Amino acid sequence: MSKIMTVDVLSSIKGAQPSETVSKLFDVIKNANTANNNSFNNNHNNAVSLNHLREDIVVNSSLTEKQIIVENFPKEKNGYLVVSKVIEE
Amino acid sequence: MDSQIRKIHQQLMNKEISCVALVQSKLNSLEQNTHNTVNSLLSDKALELAAKVDAKIENGETIGLLEGIPFGIKDVYMVQGTYTTASSNLLKNYKSPYTATAIQKLLDAGAIPVVKENCDSFGHGSSSENTIFGAVKNAKNPELVGGGSSGGSAVNVAKDFTVFSIGGDTGGSIRQPAGYNGVYGLKPTYGRISRYGLMAYASSTDCVGPIAKSIEDIRILLNIMSGIDTKDQTTYQSEKIEADSIKTSDSIKTVGYFKNFVESEAIDPRVKSDFLTVIDKIKAKGISVKPLDFFESNTLVSTYYTLAMAETASNLSRLDGTNYGNRIEAENLKETYAVTRSENFSEETKRRIVGGNQVLSQGFSDEIYLKGLNLRDQISENFEKDFDQVDIILSPVTPSYPPKIGDSLKDPLAMYLSDAYTVGFSLGQLPTLTVPQGTPTGVQITASKNNDELVLKFANFLKDTI
Repeated sequence: MSKIMTVDVLSSIKGAQPSETVSKLFDVIKNANTANNNSFNNNHNNAVSLNHLREDIVVNSSLTEKQIIVENFPKEKNGYLVVSKVIEE
Repeated sequence: MDSQIRKIHQQLMNKEISCVALVQSKLNSLEQNTHNTVNSLLSDKALELAAKVDAKIENGETIGLLEGIPFGIKDVYMVQGTYTTASSNLLKNYKSPYTATAIQKLLDAGAIPVVKENCDSFGHGSSSENTIFGAVKNAKNPELVGGGSSGGSAVNVAKDFTVFSIGGDTGGSIRQPAGYNGVYGLKPTYGRISRYGLMAYASSTDCVGPIAKSIEDIRILLNIMSGIDTKDQTTYQSEKIEADSIKTSDSIKTVGYFKNFVESEAIDPRVKSDFLTVIDKIKAKGISVKPLDFFESNTLVSTYYTLAMAETASNLSRLDGTNYGNRIEAENLKETYAVTRSENFSEETKRRIVGGNQVLSQGFSDEIYLKGLNLRDQISENFEKDFDQVDIILSPVTPSYPPKIGDSLKDPLAMYLSDAYTVGFSLGQLPTLTVPQGTPTGVQITASKNNDELVLKFANFLKDTI
């Protein structure tokens, strides 16, 4: 398998090409002045503290929830949910 | 505009209207409306709930303030058993298996959901044209866009099709359509309201918020939806905001505004002159006004879109048609993923996914993504310094009027740049409210993090001042 992956492969979108409009936005970032220090990180410190982690327990879905999940599944055959053919590389 | 919720609550309690008649009239208006605001109506369930409210009133029982109040939900929120399409082809037949925390809190308070509302697909857009349900038409002028991405929600509130609606705001998606349609729209502090059950666009700025016709209704709804949720561990505990506490604004001594927003070449002359008139009226009330320096619009928009695209590329990678969604079978699993995504995502969504994967890939990530994060830190730091000097930052909502339907799709860069005044506050995770006053597209009131109360205080002050 090639080590270089193009954006269409990375995105799983056929024929996808980088957009000129988006490239203009990236150019602004490339040319912007950035601060050298990364010490100011308080503003995306949204992590939960260890004391407040939720319990590591399995919560069972309700019957209604399970039924809707099955209903949403795209394909069914003889009572089984069918996925596409898996390829091995 | 006084509280619609309190007014309707009194009418229900006094038996001036029945809840069934109220809900039916909203359903009728929604069904007949030509603004393309509706993705699906929740008629049966809504009427069933309304009948229960009527029975309670008939039995002489008291009802809660929100009990029986009909409301709308942007079609990116999970509500168990309802279609939740994100206005996309991929999820056009997808049903929510569970209910979002914010919506569940409203249901628990007795509010009645009547409609899932049209929006830009997955929140990707600023005009509500990027949708399979037809472009949302502006409440004031149907030739113009409704704004976005919560366009259907803002138009429904403006036209009284819903008493209030719940939108989602990642880079301005509540505040801009609120401004375009002349209603209030709040993006609370990031983490104040749980995002659990909101389809993720850019998780680090996604916010749940109310759109309504009065500051009091915004306060009531914010209080109900706020709070810690173990299912969204970015949530924090906040204090309830009391009605009396936002009636006075004595604590607000200094207001700031960004000089470069007003001096920008892109700003419409009327928006500029109206905004400066607002500033003069505030000064006349004895409040000190301070012009502030800020980042250029180009930098703000580019930083926001770079990070949002990276996050959406990651969040939307789960949409491959395997477990749910409109799967299109191809010769093998990988081909099935690719064909499903290629055929079902809109051009705008594909543009953002591809852009996101570009910035996250090797060779690009240091030069663009990490630099974007660094810029975001600088923007946040700038806000921290500003709020050492001022209590409130006031800003126009948009540089110009809503575009005509069709124009934004032709020029995506212009659409991105139209978000120049909203995205900075999103990156800072600050509480910001659009009020439908001051300029043709309203003004934004912003305070420091967790200071949502101050925003509402100043909104009350502005209501009486301008």
